[in-house]
Amino acid sequence: MKLEVTQLTKCYGKTRAADGLSLSVGAARVLVLIGPSGGGKSTLLRLLGGLETADEGIIEINGQRLSTEDSALQAYRRKNGFLFQQFNLFPHLTARHNIALPLEKVHGHPPAEALVLAEQALDRFGLLDHADKLPAQLSGGQQQRVGIARAVAHQPEVLFLDEPTSALDPEMTAEVLELIQELAEAGQDIILSTHEMGFARAVADQVAFVAAGKIEELSPPAGLFAAPKSALCQRFLSRVMRY
Amino acid sequence: MNRRQLFSNVLVAMIMAVVFAWLCTSLFAVLGKQADWSKTWEYREALWNGWLVTLGISFAALIGSIFFGLLFMLGQRSHLVVVRCTCRAFLEFVRDTPLLVHLLFGYFVIFAPLLARPLGEHGLDDKLIIGVLLLSVFEGAYLGEILRGGVESIPRTQWESARAVGFSPFQVYRYVIFPQALRRVLPAMAGLFVSLIKDSSLLSVIGVAEYFYNTRNVISRSYAGLEGYIPLAVGYLILTLPVAWLSHWLEKRFRHET
Repeated sequence: MKLEVTQLTKCYGKTRAADGLSLSVGAARVLVLIGPSGGGKSTLLRLLGGLETADEGIIEINGQRLSTEDSALQAYRRKNGFLFQQFNLFPHLTARHNIALPLEKVHGHPPAEALVLAEQALDRFGLLDHADKLPAQLSGGQQQRVGIARAVAHQPEVLFLDEPTSALDPEMTAEVLELIQELAEAGQDIILSTHEMGFARAVADQVAFVAAGKIEELSPPAGLFAAPKSALCQRFLSRVMRY
Repeated sequence: MNRRQLFSNVLVAMIMAVVFAWLCTSLFAVLGKQADWSKTWEYREALWNGWLVTLGISFAALIGSIFFGLLFMLGQRSHLVVVRCTCRAFLEFVRDTPLLVHLLFGYFVIFAPLLARPLGEHGLDDKLIIGVLLLSVFEGAYLGEILRGGVESIPRTQWESARAVGFSPFQVYRYVIFPQALRRVLPAMAGLFVSLIKDSSLLSVIGVAEYFYNTRNVISRSYAGLEGYIPLAVGYLILTLPVAWLSHWLEKRFRHET
């Protein structure tokens, strides 16, 4: 995955969630965004994922410039996957139908085939036992895993994960992180934001430290965690790594 | 239930039964002797036809109100300020004036001069069609607000997730928002449909030969009392009770699903 972001700006009211943000990643399978809450990680992910349009600036993924038109963005979202912190699943549908519905209505598979594909997706992550449960009958970790299964069922080019474990307890966090690592090892391109530093170090090819709407630092995890160059990043890491 | 509660319950039930029995006996003592059920039987055809017309009106206006309700709901969520404001103003006007005024004004001032002749030429009953249209708009205004409440009660994350999996705006509504919103507003909708059936009796003021209109005619022609009014009440109950029961059943069925 190649990523080129130039002078990206996005304001919500008076808050500049992205403030002339630039980022250049030559080749990375997994890009992890870390940084303080409210620093712009989510906004950057949402802009990269085509859920929002920037006020200014250019995003290029794999050499393709991201449009700001609704229909083009919809097409872009269709070929990628996106997962939020929580409540990703549609509560009125079973796990199976949560996965099958987009396959059928968005990707044009016949209904029977969509259900088979949904079953395969659940099976791949060991979730087949939960196929006929409603989201409310699943634990938070299971919900997130079904959410990921849905996001990758159509073999997305890039999978975007916005703090996928921050609403989970440590045990569930582990089960979701394992799944993400599995995906990364299987060759899935992933851009994710997280507060799990150990996980970032283990799975990332590149780590970007995002603060105050800018990229403060970008480097492979070994370098960034061992010897952060920016003062902000040093302070952030020393705080989160203390305990 | 402990003994004291049981005792109070039985006592109150007995008092109510006595009051009700006294009311009935004294009423029938006055009216019962004059009640002549053969009159009702004699005019059965007029009553039956009226009841069928009310059934038809209710059904047509139900469909119509769903159409207008959706329209008003979408209008209020439009991206265009002009559409939103117009919609808002129209709904406010409709909801703050009586249906009776709508029917009289709408029929005699607006639609009859425009449509009565062309509809008549095609052999259609202009009162019936215009009446159903006006009733649909009126109930649609309330339904629009109910639907808007339902749609707006769906959390933002659901809209986002639906967009994220690549649904088009129409598909977002069709597959994600409506199925959830409808479950939430079903009781309110059923209540509205019961109102709609009852409100259809007001179409009598523009001369639609529905159940209330025909029954009133029968009563004034035959000087009937109880034997005219009891079928009137029962006739409406037959229409409204199934709707109410259906809504309770649906409510129970969907309660645990979301």
